[in-house]
Amino acid sequence: MTSHGLETTPGGLSVSERVSRTLVAIGLLPVLLILIVVVVALVEPRFTGLNNVLNILRQTSFLAIVACGQMLVLIIGGFDLSVGAVVALTSTVMAKTMAALSAVMPGDVGMVIFLGVMAGLGSGAAIGLINGACVAFLRISPFMVTLGTLWIATGIGLILTNGIPVYGMPDEFVKQFGRALWFPGLFSERGIPATFYVAILIVALVWMVQRKTLLGRYIYAIGGNQQAAMVSGVSTTVCIISTYVLCSVLASTGGILATARLGSGQATMGGDLLMLQSIAAAVIGGVSLRGGIGRAEMVALSALFLSVLTNSMNLLRIDSKMQVVVLGIVLIAAVALDELGKRKQQRD
Amino acid sequence: MNELVEPPEVRASASSMKDAAGLLLEMRGISKRFPGVLALDQVDFDVRQGEVHVLFGENGAGKSTLINVIAGTYPQDGGSYHYDGAAVRGLTPHKARLMGISPVFQEFSLVPDLTVEENLFLGRERRRWGFLKAGAMRKRAAEVVSELGFDLDPKAKVRSLSRAHQQMAEIAKALMADVRLLILDEPTASLTESETYRLFELIGKLKGEGVGIIYVSHRMREIKQLADRITVLRDGRLIKTLGAEGVTENELVELMTGRKIEVLFPKIDHQPGDTLLQVSGLTTGNHSVEGVDFSARAGEVTGVAGLVGCGKSELIRAVYGVEPIHAGSITVAGEAYPHPAPSRSLQKGICYFPSDRVVEGLALSRPVRENASMAALNLEQFVKNKLLQRTSEKRIIQEIVDKLRLRPPNIERVVANLSGGNRQKVMLARGLTRKTSIFLFDEPTVGIDVGAKVEVYELMKQLVEAGAAIVLVSSELPEVLNLANRVYVMHRAHMVAELTGEDISEQNVLASFFEGDQQLAAKVQQQAGAGV
Amino acid sequence: MTDAAKASGLDTAKPTRQVILAQLLLPIALVVMFLGFAVVEPKVVSLGNINNILTQASYLFIFSCAQMVVIITRGFDLSIGTNVSAVSVLIALVMTGMVGPEGEGMFWAVSLGILTGLGFGLSVGLFNGVVVSWLRVNPFVTTLGSLNICLGVASMASDGRPVFHVPRAFSEIAYSGSILGIDLPILYAAGIGILLFFMLRNTVLGRALYILGSNPRAAEVAGLPRRRYLTMAYVICAVLAAVGALLLTARTGSGEPNLGGGLRLVGESIAAAVIGGVSLRGGVGGVQSVVIGALFITVLSNGMNLTRVDGYIQMIVLGAVLVAAIFLDRIRTQRI
Repeated sequence: MTSHGLETTPGGLSVSERVSRTLVAIGLLPVLLILIVVVVALVEPRFTGLNNVLNILRQTSFLAIVACGQMLVLIIGGFDLSVGAVVALTSTVMAKTMAALSAVMPGDVGMVIFLGVMAGLGSGAAIGLINGACVAFLRISPFMVTLGTLWIATGIGLILTNGIPVYGMPDEFVKQFGRALWFPGLFSERGIPATFYVAILIVALVWMVQRKTLLGRYIYAIGGNQQAAMVSGVSTTVCIISTYVLCSVLASTGGILATARLGSGQATMGGDLLMLQSIAAAVIGGVSLRGGIGRAEMVALSALFLSVLTNSMNLLRIDSKMQVVVLGIVLIAAVALDELGKRKQQRD
Repeated sequence: MNELVEPPEVRASASSMKDAAGLLLEMRGISKRFPGVLALDQVDFDVRQGEVHVLFGENGAGKSTLINVIAGTYPQDGGSYHYDGAAVRGLTPHKARLMGISPVFQEFSLVPDLTVEENLFLGRERRRWGFLKAGAMRKRAAEVVSELGFDLDPKAKVRSLSRAHQQMAEIAKALMADVRLLILDEPTASLTESETYRLFELIGKLKGEGVGIIYVSHRMREIKQLADRITVLRDGRLIKTLGAEGVTENELVELMTGRKIEVLFPKIDHQPGDTLLQVSGLTTGNHSVEGVDFSARAGEVTGVAGLVGCGKSELIRAVYGVEPIHAGSITVAGEAYPHPAPSRSLQKGICYFPSDRVVEGLALSRPVRENASMAALNLEQFVKNKLLQRTSEKRIIQEIVDKLRLRPPNIERVVANLSGGNRQKVMLARGLTRKTSIFLFDEPTVGIDVGAKVEVYELMKQLVEAGAAIVLVSSELPEVLNLANRVYVMHRAHMVAELTGEDISEQNVLASFFEGDQQLAAKVQQQAGAGV
Repeated sequence: MTDAAKASGLDTAKPTRQVILAQLLLPIALVVMFLGFAVVEPKVVSLGNINNILTQASYLFIFSCAQMVVIITRGFDLSIGTNVSAVSVLIALVMTGMVGPEGEGMFWAVSLGILTGLGFGLSVGLFNGVVVSWLRVNPFVTTLGSLNICLGVASMASDGRPVFHVPRAFSEIAYSGSILGIDLPILYAAGIGILLFFMLRNTVLGRALYILGSNPRAAEVAGLPRRRYLTMAYVICAVLAAVGALLLTARTGSGEPNLGGGLRLVGESIAAAVIGGVSLRGGVGGVQSVVIGALFITVLSNGMNLTRVDGYIQMIVLGAVLVAAIFLDRIRTQRI
């Protein structure tokens, strides 16, 4: 019975086969994440320090929200290169609006914040609408459309600010939200970043949309087989447009959180790097670039993974330039492993 | 001119007026044009309540275009569409479903990464405020599946199902809503006898409930069993609508093809010679072929018959090297041929013509010339020192294309603009660009018109009579029965029969499916017995 | 006979006029745009400016040609931007490091610098090609990964600062010289264009790239070695990008870690190719498409510069024109 050269268990499966099957079932990502956390925590005690953990959570929140939007678009079989530019646009539009309104109605801080946030989300939604309409009605390749809106949104952001940071947002917005720790004593003595609660809420919402709502079901259906969805009576144009708008609004939300933390509106926020990170997070989280597959919780986990990875490298004093290289390799390796696994499954 | 000659038209509409009460669908003068093709040309068609109306015609005759117009997938370019006595305009698939029109297409309208249950409700999910009522849908899906008596797991992902099970899911999906007009496009192509039997029972029941059924098929047996009326289409035109009673097979085939059956299939003079291809114990990587023995000889057409998805395509694909092989051996002209790969197969004189010319045959955006010379880019006539010999390429391809009577004979045209028949000729040209002794045809006449079909058969005749070995894999039984000298029958991945001479008949082929099932059942029992 | 008549009537006779019109659409738009700018600002048509346009277009043309080779195979290459940055830094380092204080060893320094640049491009291309074809990783993810890797190389090698004092001799052979009054960059671009045209039209590789892009499955069934040709496409792309990087570095006179800046260069190179008619669905397009596309984008930004359109607004216009052009192209290909 040991002709395979491997120990065989009563079930007829070798140990290595069992391990690989379990890995396939839960995915490599959680295992890797835990591994990194354990190793780095042992090597570098600062890693588990409260400040560092809070830092990781902030980074994760921001990336997870944007990546969730990207994920939805990828599932429906599209692409959104404009998320980074939308973050920048939101940041400038919101900051400008708040600054202007603060001058007009200095007493009414709540209203100023509300209108500012709405203006920010609105600008994002507008870009999403353009993206969605071009893809759904004009049937232009999503890659090219969002490349176009990437330039358009960046251009508008730069015109609004002339490239200079916009100050003048209400203090309350920055101190009580952007940089605040909420609910002290619940998870830690000082609390946890407000942005993290927002991110949890948003990921949960996206999860619910995916699992429990018609739109979520249709996004999967259209990405999996657009022709089938259309023949089955799914109004594909409405769904595609909604998805792009949703993606941009999520990117906007990310922009609002980042701006609130930073305390100023910046036209250089987000940018190409964030767009690339959001796609990387989605792809490492198991979203297929061919559409039809992907889950919010995995993408959030993958955002956490990327943030932990970056943070660990910082703590271990790995040159930030080298870090970029590591990220590139991790991305390719993740997808290559996934692809190999799929091919092996098909063969079995 | 024709429009002015009214009398027959009037009579037809008068007679339809008479039983207008039961008329569910009435279409007059329907036309549909695609780039380069007039797919439907002034077609009249109607369906009464509680009848099975068979649509009959070859692939490419316009049947699927017509049902797609009925189901709202394609808007018609001309003609009138009445449903339940009311004119219908701007039909979409969604509206059609609301009206009770449920199509079951051949290319499935299923999403592979969703579960059966999710697919059943696709487009009409139960919901409140945009939220899905998963529990209610789960219950209903289980009910429907058990009502139909299908052996289907509602929680399974569609991707993981066999073709037969996907077909069942597709049928179940069509029956989820309140159906008034059911469209079935060759539903039995991949079903076994017993599954087909269940489906026919179901059709009988629906008929009793007054549902109108459009049934697309070209299997005589089914037509005899089910049809109330038959409409024959050819080249996008309505040939005739006739009552099913007393119709003979030959009459239908002649209506369908527009020529006598003797003319359709050429008489091939088989001169079996050496065994060029010998396959033993072949099992493919995905087990769609299991332990198959098979051989092909020079100078004869070897046919392989079987249901869609029985593994017959995979058999020749494995020989050519596009399907992974798990076990077994292949011998070509007496020499062992381990680990086949397309480039080496071509060098050994084996050429494979895929059934799906769009997916794996042709580079649609490239000209005829490039498509025809694609498999011969390592020959000196075409390439010297890695440089293309464009002049000589043009000359050779032009000659071949002229011989195959490509119309128009322009080798610089982009293949996407060619009709199905012409596309197949471009594929065939590929086999003539180099010395080929074993031709593997996978469903060679799918989607091509009768004229081109006859030309393909003629070419096979020439090739065989010149000493080539041809393997013809086809789901069109008449094709295999009339052209092959020996017929293999495959069923559920196994080779269940080899028929020669007088034994080659529809009856025997069908019988061997049944025997195959029994043999398999016996084998399973044996294994189970051995295990205990 | 009737079949033949029907087929030919439907297939060929009708679209020819439309096809010709569609093919001419972009050149006409280009000329109209050029004349439009000329009316607003007469300087646009000056000989100096035309030379200027051609020189600028040369660089874009080379990058866009690189991009075209992979787009034809249904891929694209996001890494050419940071590849350019890395090459620029590396050659500058090699050249400045090898030349003595009095300019001795100039020949070897420049030659070795050029070889280093091309070698780096080659290895990036090889990496992309192998990952895409052997590991079957999506081109987007692959080149996104190598984008990061090249970015790391560029900033690590230069420590984020420009490398000054690239030898003048290098600039002379790659930028400032001219032959028969034509500037060198234009000549290099023309040379590359002619080579690539020949490669695509007359070699097995060129033919294989088109077929691979048009239908990868069909190429495999026809026995074409898919992986080898696909890898070669990425290699050609990255090497051409490296050549472009050499020329750009010769112009700036220093190794710049941000030369290919972010996605701007990548975006413009894809845009120029696609506007010119190279299909993202693969199998369609040629050098002539890229010529038109590169000229189109260059004339647009040159005209806006001369008519003093705000730089940020230029960005918006470029985005809008890109979407519009792709849309027109989609209509055009649908007709054919």
